[in-house]
Amino acid sequence: MSNSNACSRTLTALGIKSESHTEVELAFLQARTRRHFLRSVGGGLGTLFLGTLASKLVPSAKAAGGETAALDFSRDARTPLSPLPPQFPAKARRVIYLHMAGAPSQLELFEYKPELKRFDGQDCPASFLAGKRFAFISGVPKLLGSQYPFHQTGQSGQWISDRLPHIEKCVDDICFIKSMRTDQFNHAPAQLLVQTGNPRLGYASFGSWVVYGLGTENHNLPGFIVLLSGGKTPDGGKQLWSSGFLPSVYQGVQCRSHGEPVPYLDNPADVSRSLRRSMLDTIDEINDQTYAAFGNPETVTRIAQYELAFRMQMDATDAMDIRKETDSVHAQYGSKPGEASFANNCLVARRLAERGVRFIQLYHWGWDSHGADAKEALNLGFNDRCREVDQPTAALLSDLKSRGLLEDTLVVWGGEFGRTPMRENRGGQQMKYVGRDHNPGAFTIWLAGGGVRPGMSHGETDDMGYEIVKDPVEIRDLHATMLYLLGFDHRKLNYRFQGLEQKLTSVKPARVVPDILA
Amino acid sequence: MNVPGRSFDQSCEPSLTTPNRGFPGEFRLGFVMLAPILAVTILAAVFPPDGKERAHWVQFIGRFHPFVVHFPIALFLLVPILEIAGRSIRFTYLRLSVPFVLSLATVGASIASILGWSLARSGGYSGTLMIQHMWGGVVLSIVCCACWMLRPRLQVSVAYATVLVLGVGLVAWTGYRGGQLSLGPNHLTEFMPNGLRALLGVEDSHNVGSADPNTFYGARIQPIFSARCINCHGADKHKGNLRLDSYRALMRGGKDGPVIQTGNIQESDLLRRIKLPSNHDDFMPKGKQPLAADEVKTIELWIAAGASDTLAVNAINNAPSGSAVPAEVKFEKIDPLLVARLRSAIGPVVSQLQNQFPGILDYDSRNSAELRLNASILGIKFGDRDLETFAPVAEHIIVADFSRTSITDHSAAAIAAMKQLRVLRLIDTRLTDATLLQFETLNQLESLNAYGTAITPAVLPTIARLPKLSRFYAGQTGILPGKSVPESLVGKLVF
Repeated sequence: MSNSNACSRTLTALGIKSESHTEVELAFLQARTRRHFLRSVGGGLGTLFLGTLASKLVPSAKAAGGETAALDFSRDARTPLSPLPPQFPAKARRVIYLHMAGAPSQLELFEYKPELKRFDGQDCPASFLAGKRFAFISGVPKLLGSQYPFHQTGQSGQWISDRLPHIEKCVDDICFIKSMRTDQFNHAPAQLLVQTGNPRLGYASFGSWVVYGLGTENHNLPGFIVLLSGGKTPDGGKQLWSSGFLPSVYQGVQCRSHGEPVPYLDNPADVSRSLRRSMLDTIDEINDQTYAAFGNPETVTRIAQYELAFRMQMDATDAMDIRKETDSVHAQYGSKPGEASFANNCLVARRLAERGVRFIQLYHWGWDSHGADAKEALNLGFNDRCREVDQPTAALLSDLKSRGLLEDTLVVWGGEFGRTPMRENRGGQQMKYVGRDHNPGAFTIWLAGGGVRPGMSHGETDDMGYEIVKDPVEIRDLHATMLYLLGFDHRKLNYRFQGLEQKLTSVKPARVVPDILA
Repeated sequence: MNVPGRSFDQSCEPSLTTPNRGFPGEFRLGFVMLAPILAVTILAAVFPPDGKERAHWVQFIGRFHPFVVHFPIALFLLVPILEIAGRSIRFTYLRLSVPFVLSLATVGASIASILGWSLARSGGYSGTLMIQHMWGGVVLSIVCCACWMLRPRLQVSVAYATVLVLGVGLVAWTGYRGGQLSLGPNHLTEFMPNGLRALLGVEDSHNVGSADPNTFYGARIQPIFSARCINCHGADKHKGNLRLDSYRALMRGGKDGPVIQTGNIQESDLLRRIKLPSNHDDFMPKGKQPLAADEVKTIELWIAAGASDTLAVNAINNAPSGSAVPAEVKFEKIDPLLVARLRSAIGPVVSQLQNQFPGILDYDSRNSAELRLNASILGIKFGDRDLETFAPVAEHIIVADFSRTSITDHSAAAIAAMKQLRVLRLIDTRLTDATLLQFETLNQLESLNAYGTAITPAVLPTIARLPKLSRFYAGQTGILPGKSVPESLVGKLVF
């Protein structure tokens, strides 16, 4: 009986009228074997059991609350980005992440190492090289002192080099972590580790996790927006803002820095907004049918994205249009409308933050100062990078501060690893330009706003700036700390995939760094 | 001591087939058992622990006290079980073992007592707790022996039963004292769940403290000692004769004299010891995590400043920031029932407002019934009329953002009704002084943002009276940087 029912359902779905299908029905029944029966009985009983089990277990687990209960991130399928409150009261409501792709040299910017300067030009001791892997250094490299003078600045008396005269003025709002550590020494996996908590492909990015956990208040804009500058996509590629195993609606939306921020957002000539609306209604209807037939959540994502794009026609153009800012603001940021620059992106970042975008990710490419050519030499290209980011970064910080947004916006600035205190000697030869190789063992990033203790420095490296001697902070610790500021226990912000409660901080134990909390 | 021996045979059950030849040489055994008891009683009475450390080899032996002490305890507690179970016909043979178990327990108890005395005498222990625990152990050895002697006389003896029950009580009491010695005086209640704590009326011991919290000593120094030192140097256990549970005791010092030399950080032994590497012999707290760098710094600055107990709490300028940084962050727990109860009053209204204005109103966290209202998302589409609809939840809103909305001074009363507001943003709105002058009711306000509005310095006296305000954003307004502001607003204006 149930078989014939299933059969007629299948046939109806196939569009075959029921009067004419007696023979088909017979054929269908004959095609059903004992194996089909056994499978459905087994599966059916199992499902029944699981059903009763789940109904007993799930509510009680939820009612128990506290440590064991998983947080519920389910939403209406039509509004997958709707906001959810954080787990506990949060200091930070949104994040602006300024990723310096290529890994800027901490020894030329924030790490004052007079001892290293003293040993400048001398052979690197063998103990520095034993058991270490380098991208390019071979043989015995020479130690390399900082190329630029350092001085103390601000009320907090922090050391900084002369390369960042604008950021220097904000130093009392900044919290340096000088003891960052990673286990990846190539750009792409190291960037993936910083942005997805895992050096391999296929994991959800920080922004995706945050939008999954908190949603976004402004439903006319994506919750996670990515802006690039510096001329190239970072080595980690678009995987850096991928949603991995999370539903793809949580992935970062890359907006162009040049020309229209989002292509094809404007209606073509002779297409009115109402015509566009009725077109979308029809597409939605078809997608609804597809979803009813196949139940693939990605179909719902597609519907949601069409709807978002329709709403974005109104708001995105406005949010990205920096021509609406005054000349004094442009002077402050050093931004020029129509250009693709980090300065423009910083200004856009502030406009997006004002409009309630949850996670704003900027990448600036070109910090890989090996010294293999002029563009990536510490004494040449590095200076250009400093100039490109210094003023806009400082302008962003002070602008957020004067508008009161720094209170609940967490700003992060940093690369994916550090650079060696040794001068790079590619192929064992002295190179024409000055540069440093990759050092995963120690690097500096800084944070500001959003509940971070301002005007401080956490962690220390040795006199050469080579290895951490005090308070090491792993990438996962940084992630746990940032999620804490956003109101989450990093162990509770998770998503079931491949039989594991997946989380940003992955499986190794991560620690919130209490010292840097305001 | 005359220990009757023959009665044992009569007390045994005839059902057992093994011929019972009685205990061999019970008189001698009695003396063997009594000698150590006598010894430890004399030792404890004549050479009590006095907080001085002595020979290492005695300490070495003494350290076996915790290891040994549980054997006699288990043996002694076995006796009532054997006696009770032995009343049943099936288990009568159990009672045969009682004298043997008791004699073992007696020997064990006296050995444990001697070891305990060695530890206390040589390990630098003293204090009431210590003394009580020691005598508890000594008396317990005597009780064991008394049980053994009383037992064989009669099948059921009131005296025997009484001593046995007394002994069990004494085991519990002495064990509790021992636990207090090693784990702290409030070890049983320290991590008691709050619910149970409330039920039993136990006070949270973390809050106990007598020093004046307005002094640097009371607010900053004593809490460090209380957290890290008084388990060994407190009222109940004062190793090295040093107590750190009060200012007077601290300044009195320990067995080697004062541990703090006022104003002299080089000569202060306490500071020297806490700064040593943790593997050094003199390092304190011995066997524990070293004090945090900030804690050491705080103590150092206090000693340098004269180590006074009257010094004001804010007298030392460069002291590390107030609350010491915790080693680990604690995550709040969510109590769903409590949250549901808190939200019950406003829940329906909140849901209805969330449907009417999607995305702009939500709870502050999953653990609270406090609300955040972010109308800036709607921009000019949000006006005075819309704000009126939030009146039923006004007193639950703690963060409100009306930036770039079209609300006007007509909304002044509606905003002023949000009495719990901590953060209020009015960036680029048409609000004027008239609205801000009504904010006197907002006495929870910590951050007020009027960036880009047309307000003037006329609002400053009103704003200055807000008791909790710490930030007032007045950039791009009629208030200009550099002009004089009321004293209570100095350092709080942001441009």
